[in-house]
Amino acid sequence: MNFAHLHLLLNHFPVIGAIIGVGLFVASLFKQSGDLRRSSLIVLAVMALLTIPTFLSGTGAQLTIAGRPGVSDALIQRHEGAAILAFWFMEVTGALAVVGLWQTHRTSRPARWNVLAVLLFSLVTVGLMARTGNTGGDIRHPELWTSPDGTSEGKIGSIVHIFEPTPAKYSHDLVFTKWTTAVLMDLHFFGLVLVIGTVGVLNLRILGVGKQMPFAPLHRFLPWAMGGLAINVITGMLAYSGSPELYNYDAAFWLKIVALLLLGFNLCVFYLTGIFTRVERLGAGDNAPMVAKLIAGSSLFFWFAIIVLGRYIQLAGGTIPSGSN
Amino acid sequence: MAVPEILNTVEQSGLSMWIRNTDSLFGFYFILLLHTIGLSLLVGASVVVDLRILGVAPDLPLKSLKWLFRVMWAGFFINAPTGLLLLISYPTKALTNPDFYIKLSLIGISLVVMQKIKTRVFDDSLSEPDMVARGKTMAKYSLALWAASITAGRLLAYTYTYLLYGVYAVVTLNTHI
Repeated sequence: MNFAHLHLLLNHFPVIGAIIGVGLFVASLFKQSGDLRRSSLIVLAVMALLTIPTFLSGTGAQLTIAGRPGVSDALIQRHEGAAILAFWFMEVTGALAVVGLWQTHRTSRPARWNVLAVLLFSLVTVGLMARTGNTGGDIRHPELWTSPDGTSEGKIGSIVHIFEPTPAKYSHDLVFTKWTTAVLMDLHFFGLVLVIGTVGVLNLRILGVGKQMPFAPLHRFLPWAMGGLAINVITGMLAYSGSPELYNYDAAFWLKIVALLLLGFNLCVFYLTGIFTRVERLGAGDNAPMVAKLIAGSSLFFWFAIIVLGRYIQLAGGTIPSGSN
Repeated sequence: MAVPEILNTVEQSGLSMWIRNTDSLFGFYFILLLHTIGLSLLVGASVVVDLRILGVAPDLPLKSLKWLFRVMWAGFFINAPTGLLLLISYPTKALTNPDFYIKLSLIGISLVVMQKIKTRVFDDSLSEPDMVARGKTMAKYSLALWAASITAGRLLAYTYTYLLYGVYAVVTLNTHI
């Protein structure tokens, strides 16, 4: 198994998932179904999370296959540029979907601006994801090429191409001076503090520490946890994009991404299986059910695992051999 | 200005060399990890109290957050000894950098503000609205001071002149320590 395998395993999720998410969202607007809208927002949020390892494995695959006979570096660059643009639109869509879910929870329906923003961003994302899949296919499938530059991109794709970042310049700009890294890492610590503070208090309450805190009012801290997470996804991905070769061959980095995905799974179990509804009723002094304590315990475990693995990234460089790919 | 010889003596001590050079997982990076976890407890808990005072989660009784001060001090008591060990491992690097003194001063002031919030705001004779009213200014200072403390701490990785005694720094890109 190498990064190319991993990328092939993951790369259909964002493309197809975004289409399914948008499809359900548009259907929910026509049918005026709150349940359907909620489901579509969940699909979009989960896809935003899955797009992270997909993007990372793509950079890994590039390092694996670049320079092989029959592999065009220009086509890889074209695919990467398309992927960078699609990635950020997917992440914004996912963030907007989470905001929509929060608004649904608070007032039973998302705000009008949120519906419009999700619609706009998810539609653009589908287009950008389709282009990313298309340009990715071009790398290994010459039979698809229709234009002389060795791509199958049509007019619209070529126009979008003008607006996408040039991968080499994008990476270079992110490590232009050591101060870029300094600012990114400083903000990454701000995000860390916000997440651990708010998530920590919520999870400890469920575990029975600070039981005098009623849960529903305490849960209003959640947007700050999500804000912290957003800061860290942005600053983390930018730091990664500045020097992917430092991270790709690093076991601590990949385990950190696995822990992040497991946290996403944990969060889905908590909010979608009725455990949250039971926890939300907890008043001052009430005990949480055992299943909620398990979820809270694993959430704390994975968040601290993320800190541990993040700290060991620098030490664990080169723990994944690059030659064996 | 000459760098004091004592820094070299500390650097050549067994403990200092062990932290820097050991292949054990419990060397420099482990201490740095504990320092980060302590930071997340100290500042994370403090930020939650500050945000509540500034109007986040308004239906949550402020009094019910008093237990968080124990978490903050637990974080501090992780970070004082781990910070000392980090200082012992690279004394010249830290003590020849003005930013190090700025960082320590900012943490000192942050701790004073934090403790003031505990004694002045978390006063059992006060009503909830009075607690919030009394804490507003201090909570804002607290957030700003913690942000500045973390920034000063992060900058230590990028601003030093000597890595070790007599060894000029080559501060590379992607230095995360």
